Amino acid sequence: MEYKINFYVNDEPISLVVKPNHTALRVLREQLDLTGSKEGCSAGECGACTIIVDNKPMNACLILAPELDGVHITTVEGLSKDGKLTPLQESFISHAALQCGYCTPGFLMSATALLNENPKPSREEIVDAISGNLCRCTGYKRIIEAIEDVVNSKEGR
Amino acid sequence: MKEFEYLAPTTIKEVVDLLLKYKNKACILNGGTDVVIRLRERLISPEYIIDIKHIKELKGINLNIKEKYLFIGALSTMNEISANEYVKKYYPYYAEACHSVGSNQVRNRATSVGNIVNASPLADSATPLYALDATLIIEGQNGRREVPIREFITFVRKTVLQEGEIVIGIKIPLYENTKGVFSKNARRREVDLSNVCATIVKIGNEYKIAFGAVAPTPIRLTKTEEFLKNKEISDKTIEEAKELAIKEVSPIDDIRASKEYRLDIVKVIIDRSLRELNQGGE
Repeated sequence: MEYKINFYVNDEPISLVVKPNHTALRVLREQLDLTGSKEGCSAGECGACTIIVDNKPMNACLILAPELDGVHITTVEGLSKDGKLTPLQESFISHAALQCGYCTPGFLMSATALLNENPKPSREEIVDAISGNLCRCTGYKRIIEAIEDVVNSKEGR
Repeated sequence: MKEFEYLAPTTIKEVVDLLLKYKNKACILNGGTDVVIRLRERLISPEYIIDIKHIKELKGINLNIKEKYLFIGALSTMNEISANEYVKKYYPYYAEACHSVGSNQVRNRATSVGNIVNASPLADSATPLYALDATLIIEGQNGRREVPIREFITFVRKTVLQEGEIVIGIKIPLYENTKGVFSKNARRREVDLSNVCATIVKIGNEYKIAFGAVAPTPIRLTKTEEFLKNKEISDKTIEEAKELAIKEVSPIDDIRASKEYRLDIVKVIIDRSLRELNQGGE
């Protein structure tokens, strides 16, 4: 059984034939070659596959491919424009808010969704927004500081 | 994941017809935060997945002032419920319970109705609904029926839903002068399942006490409620209520906690909640 779906990925309209028993994550990684979103736990616990669906962060591993019909998706590949990283991405680099980097796309998507909705979150709101993302390297301190720094800088996101 | 046919009906009637046609070969998909995991782990292998997210009638949270209830549509996500102004105003502890589920990403998909229909003993959004005597609105081939949540869940992952029936929403009665406390004891604060969860609501001089993860279904502690009715809350009554409460629950040892630990936590939750509900006078 195959399903034809129409949706947007990083502002680009996409028409695709998908299998019902594939996840959105598999569609992104294997059919569209967008390998920024990672598979960690496959159970909605680690957040490595976080993408933004219609302005909300969600786990791509818990969405079935046909459910993507009609939605707008942003993945980590869609953050930078014309080769220019977003202030949030720059801040992750300058704060060294990553080590192995496996969780980083997920953190960037959760933090981007937060800042889109609330440009001036408190530290507590930042912690709350990224609590569905696990990082086994950094201990979170630098990730939180990287996000805080963007909030406190003049340019905003 | 085994292959299946994906169906996306747009009316409740279509869902009922599909359920009657495919019977136990079909499975309803709402937020999918539980169903997709169960599909992947092959705990279920339906031939038909019925996605109900395109049914407009199942959307929204509506206040009915005349008949004094709040209606939570089946598609309302945990985040929609915990951010809703009526829920925050009338039942802040229900908002808190919904916010305690999973992560932000999960709460953008998971629904409270899905949480109830799954009928897990430790469903976090269930205990406020048990304490508030909420009812589930069910539609089937013979029309609508309403079932109190206490009768809806019959055992671990078992409900009274019949063939061809779908839960379309939850009706929560509006009460005057209520206060409530939601508690969740887990190993970590986010993205974890409850060792014990509970909601205690005070309505006038009565208490409604609901616990999760201490029996095969969420339960109300009716004997403890009866004991506390119209009583002055003192250290002595709290001690007596705690001893009564642990006789009403039947927790088990499992991967998350031991039976003894859970019994202790039940006492702690009773103690803290009763004190919090009686702080600073009425």
